[in-house]
Amino acid sequence: MAGRVAILRQGRVLIASLQEALGDSDILGLQSDILRDVIRHRATGVIVDVSALDVLDSFGTRTLADMAAAVQLRGARLAIVGIQPDVAFSMVLMGLTLTGVATARDLETGLALLTGAGE
Amino acid sequence: MSDIIASSAPRADRLRPATDEQLRWFDITETDRSRAEALAATADELAEPIIEDFYRHLLSFEGARRHFRDDDQIARVKQGQLRYFRELVAAALDDEYVANRRRIGLIHERAGVTPTLYVGAYAYYLHSLGHMVMDRMQDDPARAVSLLLSLNKIAHFDMALALETYVDTREAAIEQREREMSELPTPVLQLRDGLLLIPVVGTLDSFRARNLTVRVLERIRDLRARAVVLDITGVAAVDSAVASHLIQTMTAARLMGATAVLTGLSAEVAQALVKIGVTSEALHTAGDLQHGIEIAERLMEG
Repeated sequence: MAGRVAILRQGRVLIASLQEALGDSDILGLQSDILRDVIRHRATGVIVDVSALDVLDSFGTRTLADMAAAVQLRGARLAIVGIQPDVAFSMVLMGLTLTGVATARDLETGLALLTGAGE
Repeated sequence: MSDIIASSAPRADRLRPATDEQLRWFDITETDRSRAEALAATADELAEPIIEDFYRHLLSFEGARRHFRDDDQIARVKQGQLRYFRELVAAALDDEYVANRRRIGLIHERAGVTPTLYVGAYAYYLHSLGHMVMDRMQDDPARAVSLLLSLNKIAHFDMALALETYVDTREAAIEQREREMSELPTPVLQLRDGLLLIPVVGTLDSFRARNLTVRVLERIRDLRARAVVLDITGVAAVDSAVASHLIQTMTAARLMGATAVLTGLSAEVAQALVKIGVTSEALHTAGDLQHGIEIAERLMEG
């Protein structure tokens, strides 16, 4: 539980809010923390909130995509919320389109998306 | 002449060969210059009657007559033309001469003197002068021919300058138009809460596509949009580059949590999209705007 990113719990949804640009080891640490907690808390959804980030490098993006696939294999869904315009644009230019990963504009929408409440 | 060649400085314009290079291209040598100069006195004397004659010819055409407002203007243009033909035989063919000729070409272009009119006037002058020179030099026709042939070279060089100016001016105008098109703003309209409509009109180059993407993404954030309808009915041409720009915009919108729907796809656009490997599975599309908005609303509810 030594990760730099706190993982909160809201019902059966885990929420990880990234507050600063993470190094490669931090983001890998977050990945294993989340995968562990999904089972531990019997979570159905995971939200990664990146709204505070104005950059996201290719390693970070790829790891998030991997994380989404792995979370799915453990029986839950992952959504990335709050991607900023600049981040979205540079990700697209790098060809990192997060195909198959759910996205939402903010935490609230993301929660609604994962809990199936809709809007 | 050798002085002229030595002193012609390299011009900033790299695409255009320097004056001495142009002279070499037209094979205009010192001999040609001195031969043309030998015609100077005759040409000077004959210029006026030839031009008078030419204007009688010119003004017999309805279309040409419309270029002139009044007799004053005709007199002024005649004077200009006199100077023009005198310079042809007398002026040093240097950078200054070239610049001056290009300036005159520009004036012609602005005044609506077509290349046909310009070359036609030139041909008329050379033809009349040729006949008169041959008449005067009946005792030495061989020399007359050689003098006229040299003058011919210089005249062609001169015409090339004017025509280049025509082309340059037109090209500059087209470029300007294109720049204006690419700077056309694209409005991002809020159709209703959470639904944005972006009507794209004109040409979409990479500069404009980039601006469009940035603006759409900012508006998605600011207006908390959940769906975006991108209508490309008014886009002039969609090649694979433009198509991939559009896909980038839509993908970036999705990353921000907004669903994008592309509408107004013509048959050509559909083909361009297929060519870059895009299928409707990866993308919400609709033939027309109304259908597109219906799809967007359904996606927002579901």
